[in-house]
Amino acid sequence: MSAAPEQRRYKLTDQVDFLIVGCGASGSVLARELSRNGFSVVALEQGPWLDRSQFTHDEYRVQAQHLLTNNPQKQPMTFRKTPKDKAVKQPALIYGRMVGGGTVHFTANYWRFHEIDFIEASKKGTIPGTGFADWPITYADMEPYYTKAEWDLGVSGQAGASPFDPPRSKPYPLPPMPVKSSGVLFEQGARKLGYHPFPAPMAILSQSYQGRLACAHCGFCMGFGCEMGAKSSPLPTMVPQAVATGRCEIRPHSYVRKIELDAHGRAIGAVYFDQNGKENLQHAKAFIVSSNGSETPRLLLLSKSNRFPDGLANSSGIVGKYLMFNTDPLCGGTFEHELNEYKSIQVTRILHDFYEIDPKHGFYGGGGLDARFLWTPISFGSIGMSPRAPQWGSDYKKAMAKNFNRTMFIACHTTSLPVADNSISLDDTVKDAWGLPAMRVTYKDHPDDLKTGQFLLDRGMEIMQAAGAQDRWAFPIEETTFGFHLLGTCRMGNDPKSSVINSDHRTHDVPNLFLCDGSSFVTSGRGQPTETIQTLAFRASDRITALAKKGEI
Amino acid sequence: MDNARRRFLALAGTSLGVLYLGGLTPEVLAQAHEHAKSAQRNLDGQPFRFFTPQQAADYEAFAEQIIPTDETPGAKEANVVRFVDFALSEIEPQNKQDFAKALDALNAQAKKTAPQAAAFSALSSAQQVEAMKAVEKTEDFGMLKYYVLIGFFGDPADGGNKDQIGWKLIGFEDRFYYAPPFGYYDAQAMKEKA
Repeated sequence: MSAAPEQRRYKLTDQVDFLIVGCGASGSVLARELSRNGFSVVALEQGPWLDRSQFTHDEYRVQAQHLLTNNPQKQPMTFRKTPKDKAVKQPALIYGRMVGGGTVHFTANYWRFHEIDFIEASKKGTIPGTGFADWPITYADMEPYYTKAEWDLGVSGQAGASPFDPPRSKPYPLPPMPVKSSGVLFEQGARKLGYHPFPAPMAILSQSYQGRLACAHCGFCMGFGCEMGAKSSPLPTMVPQAVATGRCEIRPHSYVRKIELDAHGRAIGAVYFDQNGKENLQHAKAFIVSSNGSETPRLLLLSKSNRFPDGLANSSGIVGKYLMFNTDPLCGGTFEHELNEYKSIQVTRILHDFYEIDPKHGFYGGGGLDARFLWTPISFGSIGMSPRAPQWGSDYKKAMAKNFNRTMFIACHTTSLPVADNSISLDDTVKDAWGLPAMRVTYKDHPDDLKTGQFLLDRGMEIMQAAGAQDRWAFPIEETTFGFHLLGTCRMGNDPKSSVINSDHRTHDVPNLFLCDGSSFVTSGRGQPTETIQTLAFRASDRITALAKKGEI
Repeated sequence: MDNARRRFLALAGTSLGVLYLGGLTPEVLAQAHEHAKSAQRNLDGQPFRFFTPQQAADYEAFAEQIIPTDETPGAKEANVVRFVDFALSEIEPQNKQDFAKALDALNAQAKKTAPQAAAFSALSSAQQVEAMKAVEKTEDFGMLKYYVLIGFFGDPADGGNKDQIGWKLIGFEDRFYYAPPFGYYDAQAMKEKA
């Protein structure tokens, strides 16, 4: 399964400059940047190192065999809505478990945060019962790195197309992807209602770029790896570039269970299981955990010691807390003519008119809407049609035949408020295949998040009508019990009592331990976190490099 | 394990140099893809590994009610039951027990609908429909239906969705490479722009 290419190899006893735990959206960026900056790097990745020739469009196998994601059989989880409830064994979240991480199978929506996302609490006031706070960094701090992410990875879009866009120092490197029928209809409907739809910025190549091929419009982006290498995940970009420095080793099938400290409270090594279940200890001078918003806090909580009885770098007691999932309300519609939405990328038009919902509605929130098709044939047959459509028999068959190519959806992407009870913790009653305590997920949407979702869903239904849908339906807003955006669990801040890392991504408690991934988020953004996760990693690389060069790690 | 996509990409890979010269046309890609698909798993006449003959008969009857053979081929022609047998044996053996239980539940309902019937497959078509309506909201029914869809719409490389019967029904072309316009509305928009 693994196709680890020729690369620099380090010994377990080599004290490399940086050990990175997790080689996904952010870890792979850090690996490339730090190795390019002259440092020796080992990146330990839980999952396999797949080559794009190993990807498949077989939607059954990808899902049933968890080819790209965490496997609930080997890595069981438990879920509860509140700390008062008993947690029940069930899959509660999904993440990319492979070199490249979730960005291998993501839809490739690539939205910057706006200025307001970093300073919203001071602009709008605190919200009782939440940890709503400003970030210790601003959009201006991030802008050069957003640009770097877009140019280094390859993003297609149209700068200035949205009146709500934040300022940018450079346009997108590539023109927008060709519009699909869903995008045309969405644009027509939205314009009738006075909104400002615009071409979706996507981390997919509309033209060949830096030796990579342009998208072939096969349609298998969301949930699948890209055989063309046209999706701008780390696999065709950061990963080979890191390896090419000759200073970076990426070690797949390496599942870290603990970070060890010395007597002075400095991290000295990472204990991990290799592919054969054998335990190893890799030494390093400094450590960066980039294992996503669920596994990063879990690793800290697993790394208990006398010095840190509640988990590594957890003097604040908030490691794992303030988990934010975003919500994703959805409505569907059918149209007179064929859309053939199974062709090409999922999303070509979005709008940000409701990025900040007017507080006069009585709740906090905001988000974006996009036009998309998100089914492949099996999932379409399961849940792709209106709940009023026949569900089996000859009429069901006829409805599928008529609607598969005449259906589109509008997906909403919302804020989630940081609530302390929403969290990742350890469940000692359930063990994973390596004998470690399972992840316990506690999650209940803040009431404002559900109101935000309903508000956006109502707008989506209006756009669907204005676009001329013959039939339309909305999936009811329900409390979230399954997450795929994993944010906020080791939040960034200036105060060691209320945050886990500082604005350099260094933990407040351990000088040579850094965290950088979705867990670093203070607030949730508007439902498309990937560009900000990767931009944080580009920025963190510079900060950490500067610290290392000054001898301050 | 034959992997159509892998073989296709091996072919496409040899053309990478050509691609940069613009020579990789949709026709070339489509040909390569068709070639890669020629080696489908053939499940016809294979002995069942998971189903007992009785279970196979009951599930066949169920599958034919979910996606009947009418003016167009249905679950039967797509080899759904043979594919589900393969899937439960090879891909998801952990689901065997739940699946067998779901079939038992279907048969229990069959006996409620027609007390004299030995099993679901022994019911008349109208009785089968009646029994299915009685349980169509249950998880067991959902599981049985989901596997019909897997067998009907899954990747033909594994032997289900035989001759792409499922894909042909809904108009899913398995071409790998498409160029705009993709549908009616974007075609109209292109015309207006021109």
